[in-house]
Amino acid sequence: MGLTGDKVRKDRERAESRTREAGKGRSGQESRFMDIMDKEKREKKLTIQDIALMGVMVAVIEACKAAMAFLPNIELTSFWIIMFTLLFRWRILFVIPVFILVEGAVYGFGLWWVMYLYAWPLLALAVYMCRERESVWFWSFLSAMFGFSFGFLCAFPYVAIGIADSGLRGGLYAGFTWWVAGIPFDIAHGIGNFALMTVLYKPVRLAMKRVTIEKS
Amino acid sequence: MESKKGNKKVLLGAVALVAVAAILAIVYMAFREKPVEGSKAITIEVTGKSGATQSYELKTDAQYLRQAMEEADGLVFSGTESEYGMMVDTVNGDLADYDADGAYWSFYVNGEYCNYGIDTQPVEDGDVFGIVYTVGAAE
Repeated sequence: MGLTGDKVRKDRERAESRTREAGKGRSGQESRFMDIMDKEKREKKLTIQDIALMGVMVAVIEACKAAMAFLPNIELTSFWIIMFTLLFRWRILFVIPVFILVEGAVYGFGLWWVMYLYAWPLLALAVYMCRERESVWFWSFLSAMFGFSFGFLCAFPYVAIGIADSGLRGGLYAGFTWWVAGIPFDIAHGIGNFALMTVLYKPVRLAMKRVTIEKS
Repeated sequence: MESKKGNKKVLLGAVALVAVAAILAIVYMAFREKPVEGSKAITIEVTGKSGATQSYELKTDAQYLRQAMEEADGLVFSGTESEYGMMVDTVNGDLADYDADGAYWSFYVNGEYCNYGIDTQPVEDGDVFGIVYTVGAAE
């Protein structure tokens, strides 16, 4: 596959970029940042390999979800969305909508589906904002906090329905009671997310770092 | 020095998580719907597959809806047990098969959709419960 030749080419490009940036008076750290930005800019072209990869990502999430369906609120969806966002970055923008569509097709397009439309993208956004972090404890913390707050996030449609039905106060009451009713499940969700991330983060990240996307 | 800083952050994170879980538990204990003990007069209205409604009025000391349903004379129901309690699929002989035609039994209390399953839906004096055969996408 000419990996050695590609590596030499990339090293040369990186060195040339640093020389250009040094000539503009930029520091080493800024040069590295520009390298990353240029690389990500180059990689934003959607290739067939990307499409196939996204399909595999959705399949992995769905398979894990089905396998763990018997455990209430213990899921790997959060884990995979975090890992895929960290390692495949912008490609998650396609993965999440496809995942949500598949979920709707399989389980029906109910109110829970509306919750999915913003809950999972919010997680991906939070991960993307912290993408340079590498600590297993940080990601376990973030995953746990997402689990704890999942019920709260999902209460908003009930607030909206309540507002439409009986005004702002009624809406807030409806959302609040719905959220409170599900708190025990949210606690289980947070603890489950924490445990799964703590155990799986390092081995999965190590394995996935070895997957490289070759751009033509 | 770096390691000490890192350990401190991990410890802070762990404390924060425990604190959040504790706060959630306190909110739940403080604001959940609490079961009321004592003699309560309630009504259970069952709307079956045909659309006909059968009404059951009873006095009960049941804390939760499932016990009240078991006490209602003439009301027969069954379902599958799960970690959330009983998932009712048959009421008075009408089977709601979700896999076959998207049918299920909806539960209402005083006109509002129940937030709890029958094993955890509290019963209060004067409550009117609705059990309605429903066909469509689940919420």
